[in-house]
Amino acid sequence: MPTYVYGIAGKEHPLRVEGLKGVGEPARELRVLTSGQLGVVVSDAPEGLRAKRRDVMAHQGVLEHLLSEGPVLPMRFGLVAPDDEQTIASVREREQQYTDRLAELDGCREYNVKVSRDEDDLLRQVLAEVPEARRLNELARERPGDRRLKMELGELAAQQAQARQQKDAARIMDALTPAAVRTREAPATGGTFLNVSFLVDRKQAAAFAEAVHGEAERCGDAYAFRTSGPLPPYSFV
Amino acid sequence: MSVVTQSSSSVSRGGGSGNLYDVLELILDRGLVIDAFVRVSLVGIEILKVDARIVVASVDTYLRFAEACNRLDLEAGRKAPSQLTDLVGEATESGAKGKSKGVLAGAAEAISETIHGGDREGDEEKSSSGRSGSSSSRRTASRRKED
Repeated sequence: MPTYVYGIAGKEHPLRVEGLKGVGEPARELRVLTSGQLGVVVSDAPEGLRAKRRDVMAHQGVLEHLLSEGPVLPMRFGLVAPDDEQTIASVREREQQYTDRLAELDGCREYNVKVSRDEDDLLRQVLAEVPEARRLNELARERPGDRRLKMELGELAAQQAQARQQKDAARIMDALTPAAVRTREAPATGGTFLNVSFLVDRKQAAAFAEAVHGEAERCGDAYAFRTSGPLPPYSFV
Repeated sequence: MSVVTQSSSSVSRGGGSGNLYDVLELILDRGLVIDAFVRVSLVGIEILKVDARIVVASVDTYLRFAEACNRLDLEAGRKAPSQLTDLVGEATESGAKGKSKGVLAGAAEAISETIHGGDREGDEEKSSSGRSGSSSSRRTASRRKED
């Protein structure tokens, strides 16, 4: 029977999994496998498992619960081992590495911050600051059918907009990084210009949140900050 | 400014897809992997990621930006303060400081809320949720964007 793996914890973790719902429909029961000094939280792997909403949330929910009781290395969603024995053997092979990482992550959580800016506001700034963009904009308004002119304007506006976003992103990073242990940036998507995960020690959580709030305040109305956390440290394992 | 600090708890409770969407990439793309194990198929999910990689430097983007510039009423930017006035009224009452504290407390205490959380979809940029640990605060001072 294939084994679905949720996370790995040290021997000091209570690993109470009774009542927790695993992936699958109906939700599979969780078990703890012992691999040397480590505990591996697993369940049977449902056949035909895919990244469905309820399964992704079950995975996340199990890790959230475990994290509330001690450090855990969160597995990526959807990891399936051939069986319990091979799960134990594979974890055992890297026991020292996992133990060290658990110690590093003790007390730390991940916060993901996404920042977006209203596009009109950004373009308004570009037009206000770049005379050539203003000139092209006026020309393009007079000649709405001129596609080449439009392209020229659009290219300049896009470059200038991107440069400003990069500057904004660097400034926000400078402000938020001091409260974090580590950071990991990801490509900004879906209208955001900054998408970054911070590993934050619990003792620094308030300072970090304050830094986020301070930056949001400084940036003003046209910016939106979306912070998710505290999360299992997915980005730092 | 709008700040949303959300515990991921809503994810585990089936809250807004906005929340799930924000952490989906982490759950699906990060996290520990053991090479000897297989991963379930993420067909369908990968499409999302491809969509997200749309390049900025493309003809479509340029045309869109040009049209956006053409449409922009440069004077419209100056309307922002009057729009803010409404918000100031509301925020002064509850107190900007108090609101910021809500956010701070939210992040620090969200661990304990795992059980109670629950945001509604689409709320994240608009209003605060009912949850104590999650708060969305609007900018209250009429600081200018040039700051």
